[in-house]
Amino acid sequence: MDALELCYMSAGELSSLIRDRQVSPVEVIDAHLYRIDATEPTLNSFITLLPDHAREAARRAEAQIQAGNYRGPLHGVPVGLKDLFNTAGVRTTSGSRILDNFVPTEDCTVASRFQQAGAILLGKLNMHQFAYGPTGENFDYGHMHNPWNPELVTGGSSGGSGSAAAAGQCTITMGSDTGGSVRIPSALCGIVGLKPTYGLVSRAGLTPLSWCLDHPGPMVRTVEDAALTMNVIAGFDPNDQATTTREVPDYTAALSGSVQGLRIGVVKEYFEAPLDPEVESVVRAALAQLSEMGAIITEVSFPMFFDSQAISGTILMSEAAAYHRDLLATDGDKFTPSVRLRLEAGLFVTAADYLKAQQARARFNYEMSQLFGDVDLLAGPSEPITAPPILASEVTIGDQSVGTTGALTQYTRPYNISGTPAISVPCGFSAEGMPIGLQLAGRPFDEATVLRAAHAYEQNTEWRLKRPPI
Amino acid sequence: MPSENPLDRQAFDYLARAAGLNTDDPHMDELFSYVQNAVGANEGLRKIDTTGFEPDSAFDPSHFYQD
Repeated sequence: MDALELCYMSAGELSSLIRDRQVSPVEVIDAHLYRIDATEPTLNSFITLLPDHAREAARRAEAQIQAGNYRGPLHGVPVGLKDLFNTAGVRTTSGSRILDNFVPTEDCTVASRFQQAGAILLGKLNMHQFAYGPTGENFDYGHMHNPWNPELVTGGSSGGSGSAAAAGQCTITMGSDTGGSVRIPSALCGIVGLKPTYGLVSRAGLTPLSWCLDHPGPMVRTVEDAALTMNVIAGFDPNDQATTTREVPDYTAALSGSVQGLRIGVVKEYFEAPLDPEVESVVRAALAQLSEMGAIITEVSFPMFFDSQAISGTILMSEAAAYHRDLLATDGDKFTPSVRLRLEAGLFVTAADYLKAQQARARFNYEMSQLFGDVDLLAGPSEPITAPPILASEVTIGDQSVGTTGALTQYTRPYNISGTPAISVPCGFSAEGMPIGLQLAGRPFDEATVLRAAHAYEQNTEWRLKRPPI
Repeated sequence: MPSENPLDRQAFDYLARAAGLNTDDPHMDELFSYVQNAVGANEGLRKIDTTGFEPDSAFDPSHFYQD
């Protein structure tokens, strides 16, 4: 089988071939290592690559499957983890040279569940330092580069996860999302990124950015792969007090449904914020297509959208500063200056303002819950722009110049505040060939509806078939 | 700097020391400027009407969705 084809197969496709012994996990891993070797000098997706570990694990998986011990759809499938997921015996840097030699003794819960499912860890993926930035720039391990145009950012903070999945370096990658860090690089790199409901996927063993805003989530090339991944990683974990005890459904079961009669609310305020006209046009075309497929599209109003930045920014700054305070005191000069500034500024947020933000969050969530009384999903652009150039601190949207960080997080932050599930699914390309994402968000723990709608849309388009030129 | 923002350099230095930062560090001027802007941005937060809402200190995303 052609090696490049193996690299661009979904986990769903690969798993059938592996299960039926038409393809060996060894063949799959070798193809991916070859792909990484060819593309990595350009993309810089990895901080730590594990070729020997991966080949050994592939040989083990091959023997298990040949012996009739097939573990399920991720057995033998290559996975990459953002480098803030602790991995036993493998250094975990959180994107900072300060932790260059940090080797955890235990796997995080997500890594452990992947291992139990037979997935094969290819390596640890590059990221914005300590996950505190939405662009995918890293001055310690090198910037990440977008596979559709290496002069442009991947988006972040899970930038290496975005580029690795988009370029066929990994079948499944994992990111973490505090203000959009799964969905931003997914949208800018043209892949599917799911931020699950807060408490559905364990944060245990991940370096925190903000305890109450952090959401681990899959970054993959198809909606089916997001569902397959959720089947493995979701569910209660005694090591994460936030995880839910509710039963986890089979997320792939939701994928056979249509969007007929599904009520989708389009938040009108999303289109009053700075938004590239080309992105707006592509997203509105996607919404029109969902309507043609039978969804009931209505306009809804959510004025508190405009408070998202103030609420989540205050909470994030405070919690990030609290977590990193000791390291700032001992190694402040080793942080990337922009990250250090944001972290130290968080030390000046008063307790009263932090609690005011948590009060505002309660009102924000109440008002969003009222919207979900009338609609099943909320929809809009994942991003107001396509990928900007690396190190651009400002971007031009229409006739406005806006900060890159604020722009990249404007549509994603609301669902970190609400903790509700949100997915970015590819919905088109700009004239320059850069991907554009559609964001669909649902009620808490209703990933099934989010995945169903995203899958139905995906299967009615051919965006998933396009590959980056690299 | 917004007029409501009381954070002058003296107050900043006091708070920075209290937070364990080295106020002799050369990047303190940049941090002072950054913090002035960040604290100023909190005015938008303070204007949100939160009457009747307690802080979500034990966050549960399904809180408003329970039957």
